[in-house]
Amino acid sequence: MKNKKLQKILDAILIPVLAILSGLVLMGIMIALTGKPVWESYGVLFSKAFGCEKASNCAIVTTLERATPIILTGLSAVVAFRSGLFSIGQEGQYLMASIAAGWLGYNIHLPNGVHQSVILVACMAVGAAYGFIPGVLKVKLGVNELLSTIVLNSIATLIIEYMVQFPMRADVSTTAHSPIIDETAQLPIFMPGSKWGVGFIIAVVAVILVFIYLWKTKSGYEQRMAGQSKRFALYGGVPSDKAAIRAMIISGALAGLAGAVEVMGVHRRIMTGFSTGLGFDGVTAAILGQTHPFGVFIVAILFAGLKLGAQLGLQLKLGIPRELGATIIGFIILFVAASKFYEGAIDSVRSWFTKSKKVKAKGGGD
Amino acid sequence: MALALEMKGITKYFSSTDVQANDNVNLTVEAGEVLALVGENGAGKTTLMNILYGLIKPDSGEIFINGEKVQIGHPDDAIKNGIGMVHQHFKLVPSFTVAQNIILGMEPNKAGFLSPKEENKVVKELADKFNLPVDPKAQIRDLPVGMQQRVEILKVLLREAKILILDEPTAVLTPQEVKELMDVVRQLAKMGYSVIFITHKLIEVMEVADKVSVMRAGKNVGNKKVSDTNIPDLARMMVGREVLLRVKKDTIQRGKPVFEAKDVSVSDVHGLAAISHVSFNVHEGEIVGLAGVSGNGQTELVEVISGMRPLDGGNLYLNEQDITQANVRDRRNAGVAHIPEDRMEVGLNLQTNLDENLIISRYNQSEFSKFGFLLGKSISRFAETVVKSFSIAAAKPGEDISMLSGGNLQKVVVGRELSGQPSFIIANQPTRGLDVGSIEFVHKTLIEERDRGAGVLLVSVELEEIMALADRILVLFRGQIQGELDAKTATEEEVGILMAGGKLSDLQTNQAKSGKESK
Repeated sequence: MKNKKLQKILDAILIPVLAILSGLVLMGIMIALTGKPVWESYGVLFSKAFGCEKASNCAIVTTLERATPIILTGLSAVVAFRSGLFSIGQEGQYLMASIAAGWLGYNIHLPNGVHQSVILVACMAVGAAYGFIPGVLKVKLGVNELLSTIVLNSIATLIIEYMVQFPMRADVSTTAHSPIIDETAQLPIFMPGSKWGVGFIIAVVAVILVFIYLWKTKSGYEQRMAGQSKRFALYGGVPSDKAAIRAMIISGALAGLAGAVEVMGVHRRIMTGFSTGLGFDGVTAAILGQTHPFGVFIVAILFAGLKLGAQLGLQLKLGIPRELGATIIGFIILFVAASKFYEGAIDSVRSWFTKSKKVKAKGGGD
Repeated sequence: MALALEMKGITKYFSSTDVQANDNVNLTVEAGEVLALVGENGAGKTTLMNILYGLIKPDSGEIFINGEKVQIGHPDDAIKNGIGMVHQHFKLVPSFTVAQNIILGMEPNKAGFLSPKEENKVVKELADKFNLPVDPKAQIRDLPVGMQQRVEILKVLLREAKILILDEPTAVLTPQEVKELMDVVRQLAKMGYSVIFITHKLIEVMEVADKVSVMRAGKNVGNKKVSDTNIPDLARMMVGREVLLRVKKDTIQRGKPVFEAKDVSVSDVHGLAAISHVSFNVHEGEIVGLAGVSGNGQTELVEVISGMRPLDGGNLYLNEQDITQANVRDRRNAGVAHIPEDRMEVGLNLQTNLDENLIISRYNQSEFSKFGFLLGKSISRFAETVVKSFSIAAAKPGEDISMLSGGNLQKVVVGRELSGQPSFIIANQPTRGLDVGSIEFVHKTLIEERDRGAGVLLVSVELEEIMALADRILVLFRGQIQGELDAKTATEEEVGILMAGGKLSDLQTNQAKSGKESK
């Protein structure tokens, strides 16, 4: 029984792992083409992503900080995908919640602890509301959620730009940004020198809660059944429409949480160009992570690490453009999409193994 | 006579599922011969044929065509060697015409331009040559299934196949279409073609084949001339034990009505009337057989009764309660069980495990969830009970079901639906595509439920099944009840004429006429 479970987990991570390895090999080839030292680049990439040179200045800490919003937007995508909704509205929900966090951070004044909690809840509500829109459109009018969330993402990007430029603009500097939020609105940080803090704890708790929700609760079961087979759900009496709307609300709330954590824990304000695609990173993390909360957790950290390593290591230390990091991620996604390529290879390796085992067993018997 | 095809010692082991699909299988076909390949679901018939057609590589074994050893590593090799396959699920382009589909990939062209005229002519000639009339210009999506199959056969013949593999060709056909197909097969054999006919309906074997090969658990357990064998004999070889082809049924006293449909009308997906003004009831301890050629409104009627589709007019009653407006869940809670016609898409979710499949209609009950949380332990206990009491040997609690054979999948559906003592059971084509062993199981179970006092509505296009199980027979024709018969006195002829839209009085006048003539 346990063995079977382990086998299943191994099967699930085998393809992403192979894809990442292939992506790294390709990176090596590309670095070799630019004429830079290949082995050294690998070393630099990893030490700047996951290494720990000094106790006070650990790269892994920054990686975890950068992974936090990706974990949350990734979970948001997992909840939607598992319910059969291809919503990529995480970016929009994240931005709308960020506006709310920025605004509430300096416009209301509450005691420490209360202030943060109020903002967290408000941001989840804003994200949920922004997720509710495509959900309702889908269920009531049959609007494709992929299209509606793309449009809503664009709207949110423009709204946050407007808010930063005009109503919430702090001063007349060259780059627009909102005022710094109150100290009572900021999330505590574990280590000075980085922004790694309570946000990460929130993300870890969210990973566990999403797992429990999807696999251990009635509502999660309904969502998964409706997501996997609409006809089956209808046949069994599952209220699919309710499940779909609920999925979009929860998905929105999780993306909203990402916005809250990013504003309260890292930037402390919102500024022009706030949209950096963390929502889309979440979608990627969800796909690479086999649409599983634990998978998302691992992939988000790898992801953040690769980006950081490419930026701090490759670019600053070796002068290799950091875009290479993004390129590798692109390749990895491509390799996952081409997973059939691995399946054939894995199958033949397996059958070779079992055959040789069988032969051995037979030989022993004689 | 020379052997058109010989397969020797074919062995195939699937490591991913740990299945010995073929174990040293031998098979021979002569020219002008029809070979029936029979066996239960998962016996290895399809694997063997996929090996012959180059879709799967065998671990060992040899293939000879006309006495010459050949290597078949790809369907192209198979086609070159004159082997053609008509798959169970047709591989046609619905929006293309008949001619375009038949000619696909080998279009006659002038300087790269297609010539529809030429295409139609080629297809017309081909159809005439084999006496298989088709309209080359008709679009595939407008054709009935039997016609589509004919297009598939022509496609294979155009590629000059001499050995035709038909993979369960009758599974999707109406009785009339089956008869036509049988004629086509016999005719092809007469013209010198070899036909391998995969099926698990033994009656078809007796009807069409010269020779029969029986497979069980990947092994070839018998090769016989059809004239030297009979149906019970073949059934025993297939299943490996004695099989009741017609289950025993005692007469019992029926109780009060458990379900009633009053003046029910339903539209199909296109908004056309599928069922108009139908009324009937089902009593406790009674199996009502709803006979009819498929496509006469059965699907819509069943979906309305189960609550999956809204109705246009009329009322439904369960135990004298009006359930017309009740949703699926309420109906199920009130004691309705539903074995759907499509177990792969509707009856089961193949992407999840056995446990989650078994609780789809009861996860809301306090036994399986509390405070919004699923009670994993009692769910797996329930799964164990179902597996045990319906002896679904292949299914294991907590494990995926996607690898189970059709018969075992249906056992999962039946086990789920009939656990919990439903008062009214809708069984829609409950044995479609099942082998004799599984059919026996389903039939036995339905009769047990009837004897327990449940009302059963059995919807089936298999006349045999209706005759064997029903206490009362209703015949559906073009969305209306064409007639009602007492199963004790009804003959197949009577049901048949009603299925075709005739009246019982037609039959009587016919008989009277023939009676007079014979005098």
